Amino acid sequence: MNRGVRHIAFAALLFAAACQTAFARPQPTPDAPPSEYRPLARHDMILAGATILDGAGGKTVGDILIRDGKIAAVGEIRDQRNAVRIDASGRWITPGLIDIHTHYGTFLLPQTAAELENSDVTETSSFNVADTWIEHAVRPADPAFSRALASGVTTLQILPGSSVLIGGRSVVVHPIPAVTLAQMRFPGAPQGLKMACGSNSVNDSSFPTSRQGQIAGIRRAFHEARHRMEEDDEDEHEDRDGRGHGRWDPRNATLIGAIRGELPVHLHCYRAEDIANWISALKEFGVRIAAVHHAAEAYKIAPLLAEEGVCAAVWPDWWGFKREAEDAIPENAAFVDAAGGCAIMHSDIPVVGGLLNLDAARAAAAGRRAGLDIPPKRAIRWITSNAARALGLGDRIGTIATGMNADLVIWSGDPFSIYSKPDQVIIDGAIAFDRSDPSRQPVPDFELGRPQREGIR
Amino acid sequence: MRLLLLLLLALLSAPAWAQTIAITNARLIDGTRDEAGVTIVISGGKVESIASGGAAPAGARTIDAGGQPVTSTLFAAATQIGLVGLGGAPDTDDRGVTSGPLGAAFDVSRAVDPNALTIQEARAQGVSRAMIFPNAGNGVFAGTGALLHLDPGPDPVRKARAAMFASGDGKEAGGSRGAVWTLIRNALDEAKRPAGTGNAPRDDLLNPVDIAALQPVVAGRMPLAIAVNREADIRQAAAIAADYGIRVVIIGGAEAWRAADLLAARGIAVILDPLDELPFSYAVVGARRDNAALLAKAGVPIAFMVSGQGIYLSWDVGPALREGAGIAVANGLPYSDALQAITTAPARIWTGASTPALAPGAQADLVIWDGDPLEPSSAPAHVIIGGREISLETRQTLLRDRYHPGRRNDPLPPGYR
Repeated sequence: MNRGVRHIAFAALLFAAACQTAFARPQPTPDAPPSEYRPLARHDMILAGATILDGAGGKTVGDILIRDGKIAAVGEIRDQRNAVRIDASGRWITPGLIDIHTHYGTFLLPQTAAELENSDVTETSSFNVADTWIEHAVRPADPAFSRALASGVTTLQILPGSSVLIGGRSVVVHPIPAVTLAQMRFPGAPQGLKMACGSNSVNDSSFPTSRQGQIAGIRRAFHEARHRMEEDDEDEHEDRDGRGHGRWDPRNATLIGAIRGELPVHLHCYRAEDIANWISALKEFGVRIAAVHHAAEAYKIAPLLAEEGVCAAVWPDWWGFKREAEDAIPENAAFVDAAGGCAIMHSDIPVVGGLLNLDAARAAAAGRRAGLDIPPKRAIRWITSNAARALGLGDRIGTIATGMNADLVIWSGDPFSIYSKPDQVIIDGAIAFDRSDPSRQPVPDFELGRPQREGIR
Repeated sequence: MRLLLLLLLALLSAPAWAQTIAITNARLIDGTRDEAGVTIVISGGKVESIASGGAAPAGARTIDAGGQPVTSTLFAAATQIGLVGLGGAPDTDDRGVTSGPLGAAFDVSRAVDPNALTIQEARAQGVSRAMIFPNAGNGVFAGTGALLHLDPGPDPVRKARAAMFASGDGKEAGGSRGAVWTLIRNALDEAKRPAGTGNAPRDDLLNPVDIAALQPVVAGRMPLAIAVNREADIRQAAAIAADYGIRVVIIGGAEAWRAADLLAARGIAVILDPLDELPFSYAVVGARRDNAALLAKAGVPIAFMVSGQGIYLSWDVGPALREGAGIAVANGLPYSDALQAITTAPARIWTGASTPALAPGAQADLVIWDGDPLEPSSAPAHVIIGGREISLETRQTLLRDRYHPGRRNDPLPPGYR
């Protein structure tokens, strides 16, 4: 560490906090299907006396009143009629964790040789499968959902994979037991558009075979979509239901949704120059990237990301496992944060999906060792409010404040300690997981009647 | 003048371990004790003394540990550092053979690159010892692993051919797990035959180099590590240990808790992944986070490998081992057992050596941490290997310093820093 630079970093941090960009709430596309999710049985609660990391950068000791599934008050709260008081003193409460990058239900566990060779993660028949919706492949019975829930995750995004340039629409769900996807779907959450730059979506023989081909490919696709959108706008007076022709062309409908800001754009992209190229190319069409995922080199362009309002979703210290991650450093999230940007920790693989709090702990500690001021109240944003913002849900989840959805985790201790565990995980005011109550511990269908799981609970 | 220069050069290049280092105010935790206010004196590459509140000898370089934990360096019980540079780049990857004549005779020690960044990073993260193992891909036997000592220098291999590795995956045996055990038993039978008294060549499934490589296993001088997770396969591996009187080590062992008593009775060690919990495959449906705790309670020797779908095996091996140990503690394993599993236990498992980690006379391999080593937010403050304090600078720390936010207004681009 170059000691001379430590103090200057604080100034950068303060400046950064001042330039947080505000974002409009994206509305789902007109063709987005409705949710059939219903909150679990619940009653009003007062969570009393916990150390609260509110996800907005604050840390207090106090009470939280939950009424009708919403946070009704935060502070010192006297007993209320019909509200059960839960003593949370000595424990910590954070917003429910949000994982913006999973393949749950499509990278289906257990994996067999068949799935490994031919999975549902990506439709690979074309470089542009914008008309595919990953929700049509999700098996809600994947055991990964219940493990994520028990780890404190209350909202997660399931993304198409990175094998093609334009991978289709994502879906945002609660990891609660369900038989159909609709029963998990986060009500009113916009779908997202997944795209992938770089080596995963470069092909051997079919287009695109290079990075330059990839940029040409997205420009071609968005040019056509914009053309269709403009035609629709001209025709609108003849179109009684408000749906233009583009809406009936499913591939363009998705891209038009991105142009109109209805579908947050999630880009798989590791290298700094690739990310910059994509930001620039998409800007031609008025498309802003909500989050760059696996952004191993985000720290090299942190000011650009902050200026463009692009979140960087990263791992704590993964490096070297592929060429594009050769320059990844543990301080990545911290440097993005210090530039005033939006840092997010994400999982991608199921084992990490249960460790988001520990990943944030690792990444924040690396930043502190580099001289940056990243206390727990700041780092918790990386797995709560920043993630909510990238999903277009920042006004509903990710922070503990009056009016927000009551998605909360009561931790046995400091959530950034390896010895702490979620005691209760609350979604929309209902206890979805309780470590001490087997009746609130969902067991996936898959695990029933398996002799080798005898005695596991 | 020339003589003087030569003398000066000789002085300058005197081994750094000649220096005496005193670590004061240490909280010494080595899995068997936890003592605050300890002074550790290191000299000649060895631990010279460990004393409560002892004074630093005159002339010693003193490091004040500030009450922070000091442990033995980490021992990665099963990793592939030094065998692989970048994932997905076959020309930087020497982890295994997938064709050609070599099976059991494949020897990873000859592929080790001391300049590999996987070694540089592991060392700076407090790892000084490792068993590196070959990937299967050319039959049931993957080849022999090697023990590394990460003392900086051109040859980290301390013991080549330190263990034989086999895969319990039916795919490597032709399509059935049943064939795995037939092939392993046959190979051991062939290796047991005295040289020159073998049957006709057509009766031998193994070639002479593979047979030679397996002879230390049947002689009891080399452990046979078998990668299996399913309970039934673990029991097959245990049966081989009994039938052939050889040392068997289970790699993986997600369902080992179901055979804990058998493994304890036979003294079969398990190198497990404490993060295993999800049914990643049908062979690990019985995975649970308290596997380590249950095995330790039953008396099964354990050590850890943390895979993270292969990423943590070779990259971030140090932090991953600590996180795995912490998760095991959070799920019921005593702290001391968890610390041993990533420091002293692997040596016992692989070599049978049972020297206590930090005692006078022991090789001075230790880490001063900036917090509880099992917390993900902790990191090494000082790493001493072979009595020398090693540099914590890595390619990653140089990138960190080059792109540090505090340097944004430097007049020249990062490439000049």
